[in-house]
Amino acid sequence: MAEVVLRDVCKRYGSYNAVDNVNLTIRDKEFLVLVGPSGCGKSTTLRMIAGLEDISDGTIAIGDQTVNDLPPRDRDIAMVFQNYALYQHMTVYDNLAFGLRNRKVSEDIIKTEIDRAVDILGLRDLLKRKPRELSGGQQQRVALGRCIVRNAKVFLFDEPLSNLDAKLRAHMRLELKRLHRRVETTAVYVTHDQVEAMTLGDRVVVMNNSRIEQVGTPWEIYSRPSTRFVASFIGSPAMNFLDGKVKRNGSGYHIHAPGGAFHVSNESARGLVGQDGRDVIVGLRPEHIRLHDSKTDNALHGRVELTEQLGAEQLVEVIAEGARIMVSRVEAERELKPGTPVYLTVEPGQLRYFDQATEQALA
Amino acid sequence: MIGERLSFQIGLILPSVLVLLLFQVVPIFIGTDASFRRWSLYDPDKTWVGLEHYRYVLSDTNFLFTVLPNTFLLIVASVGLSLALGMAVALLLHRGIAAQRLVQTVVLLPLMIGPVIASTMMRWTFNDQFGVVNAFLGWLGLGQPAWLADRWYAFGVIVFTDVWIWTPWFALLLLAGLKSLPKEPFEAAALDAAGRWRIFTHITVPMLRPVIGVCVVIRAIDCFRTFDQVWLLTGGGPARSTEVFSIYVFMEAFQNLNFARGSAAAVIGTLIIMVAGLALYALINRFMDVSR
Amino acid sequence: MSLASSGSSLPRRTGLFDMLRPGARAAFMTLAVSAVLLLFLAPIIILVVTSLRPGWGVYYIYRGTEFTLANYVEVFQRGVVIEAFFNSFLVATAATVLSLGVTVTSGYMLSRFKGWLPKTWFTSIYVFRTVPYISWVLPLYVVNESLGLYDTFFGILAAHVAVHVCFFSWIMKGFFDGIDPSMEYAAMIDGCTRWGAFRRVALPAAGPAIAALGILSWLWTWNEFLFALILTGNRTPLLTVTMAQFVTELGTEWNLMSAMAVMAMIPAVIITLFAQKYVIQGLRI
Repeated sequence: MAEVVLRDVCKRYGSYNAVDNVNLTIRDKEFLVLVGPSGCGKSTTLRMIAGLEDISDGTIAIGDQTVNDLPPRDRDIAMVFQNYALYQHMTVYDNLAFGLRNRKVSEDIIKTEIDRAVDILGLRDLLKRKPRELSGGQQQRVALGRCIVRNAKVFLFDEPLSNLDAKLRAHMRLELKRLHRRVETTAVYVTHDQVEAMTLGDRVVVMNNSRIEQVGTPWEIYSRPSTRFVASFIGSPAMNFLDGKVKRNGSGYHIHAPGGAFHVSNESARGLVGQDGRDVIVGLRPEHIRLHDSKTDNALHGRVELTEQLGAEQLVEVIAEGARIMVSRVEAERELKPGTPVYLTVEPGQLRYFDQATEQALA
Repeated sequence: MIGERLSFQIGLILPSVLVLLLFQVVPIFIGTDASFRRWSLYDPDKTWVGLEHYRYVLSDTNFLFTVLPNTFLLIVASVGLSLALGMAVALLLHRGIAAQRLVQTVVLLPLMIGPVIASTMMRWTFNDQFGVVNAFLGWLGLGQPAWLADRWYAFGVIVFTDVWIWTPWFALLLLAGLKSLPKEPFEAAALDAAGRWRIFTHITVPMLRPVIGVCVVIRAIDCFRTFDQVWLLTGGGPARSTEVFSIYVFMEAFQNLNFARGSAAAVIGTLIIMVAGLALYALINRFMDVSR
Repeated sequence: MSLASSGSSLPRRTGLFDMLRPGARAAFMTLAVSAVLLLFLAPIIILVVTSLRPGWGVYYIYRGTEFTLANYVEVFQRGVVIEAFFNSFLVATAATVLSLGVTVTSGYMLSRFKGWLPKTWFTSIYVFRTVPYISWVLPLYVVNESLGLYDTFFGILAAHVAVHVCFFSWIMKGFFDGIDPSMEYAAMIDGCTRWGAFRRVALPAAGPAIAALGILSWLWTWNEFLFALILTGNRTPLLTVTMAQFVTELGTEWNLMSAMAVMAMIPAVIITLFAQKYVIQGLRI
């Protein structure tokens, strides 16, 4: 039960910055997810919190204590690893008891703690087995159990679900969420999967190129991405980016984009003030685009290139003046032959704008 | 100040480093020092004589024209033959044959019983009067050579013994390599109507190249120091004609009782194998890169 | 459809082997297997048969029918033989325990750490592994002699541990490379020191592989000849050298020498028969 504070944290390997000046406060009892592509520094950040990597610069504090020089065993943390890292030569019971025995907890208390964890996770029948006799999902539960019995101040998760198949992953995601509601502990969770990040996190930290791009609730990250990278990384299918030109026009703005133009009224023109005459990147989420068969105002004109039938919906790729635009949530039964002319419209408030040079969101 | 991580690393290797220093590095220094001195009972001061011993060894026709050629010939013949034979045995075992387990056990035996016993039994098997080989040749009505009394026959027996010992090693490592290969390329080749030999030369061998390369380098470097087989089969004879590097050093030091001269030869041999080993390593590396 | 038909019309490259009828192919395989068995088994069988023949019978071992165990009895009546067996057993066992103990941490370090120190150490063991044995055992003989260690148990033991340092460190590195380090991270988070994580988690996980290497190490030391020849004499007789002396002194007594060789071969045979899986695992590079 503690806050974790990272102040100006850096990790350097020679001249390479693996983690560059990270400032972050993880609140008490919060479930915080670090997400980003591989090599973005998220795992290194987690391993520095755990004490498995030295900190090159800056400080990390858990609770009121600066832990820079503490070895992992003295940090009062628990961690779940990608491949579970169960002790292969010990039974499930001994795996769960190992951390407590190292801390000289009496066997009676160990038994009570393990009983509690076993009930939460449904491991009762597996206690005498060795890890290699368990399925992937069961091993995953034992790894979680090892965390629960420890009553540590902070739980760390390093891509714990990525070795599971898709179905089991979705199931374990729910279990993790339920678990965190029962065992209220500060948790830091690293993943490269944006769905995990959105569904699990109280707050999400998006990292890229060793830096933090944005910190916010899943909804904030999705609806107000602060950079083009965040906008493209979060959301599936990924956001469309079009080159656009802004023109001031009486009651609002005109955004010229490939295949047409959108009119944006003053009320929904957040971010466009002062951009008159400038080139910007316009971001449209595929799920916000509507497809029309006939000519419509405020629409981009294009032709259907490909369709992907998903059963519940269709994904449609439209080409407008050479630009590719993905459209999702198209009714599954609608017939769209390649080459069909279509018109794309968007609620003006749902458009996002990014600076062409800095790729920062305009707001 | 030494960090916690570094001191842990030092602690882990310290026992090994100490053993290596005390029993390998220090003797090498002493031996190298001795190779520059006169080392005999009549010269208690062990006078510094510079490169005298090196000059002797490097102008010794026996060393230059018998010992070194023998050593490298043994490497080429032994490594080449045991690689080829080992590959054949590995393919046989990989195919899955009747009595698989029996064959694997029998193939493992030579490696396990070691060079001393192997050489002993070969010496008996190739005995010119009572050996089974000559008895068999006699039964066929062929000539019965005095195997160990002729330079090239004796050398042949040495190579045969070395191949007999080391073929299993190649076979086992190549078999492990074969088992770890993915199946798909072989299935694809079968669909492409490739014959067995083409599959072997175009798929099996290229994919096994890393294993083959590592095996050849290790075995070639180890083969350079061969002693037991030669010593026990021929003792370097007849007339010092089958001596290899290690035997030469041993003879100089213990037969001719010239420790310093033996040490000089040892230093020369060490330098040769280090350079040759590096070259071989680079060659194999390139050879493996090309295959990718 | 068109693909399938064009595929089947391609001429298939056919080797000699494929042209044989199935029966002939089976015969060929049987022949190949028999050849392999004969090559590797024949010398051993000849040795065993020789050891069972009376002294006057070894010269036509392929014809006689008299068999006897007298050779074994006679060999064991020589005190030096029993002493040699005992010494070799002791040296092999002690050298194995010490070599494994010394190198297991070294291999672990090479596997788990990066930086100048592991790099330097790895290069060192690589270089020292290529040094021919005679180049350091010859001066070691002088060192041992001046320290009074020549022909002693400790003198030969030290050489055997030293020769294993480089090779075993290298092999052990491979063992630990095959073990996921996150188990040790978990242990460190669970309250272990670095050393504790190695001893209580990594070491048990590498246990079977280390045991396999131990078996091989024991056999290699048991079979070793050069060190024994140079570093020991009459006070510490070892198996291989004692056996070799049969060849020179009793050059014609092949029956006795064979009996001793067969006895010396027993550990290798037992291990090959009953610990084959381990041995093959330990031979990996």
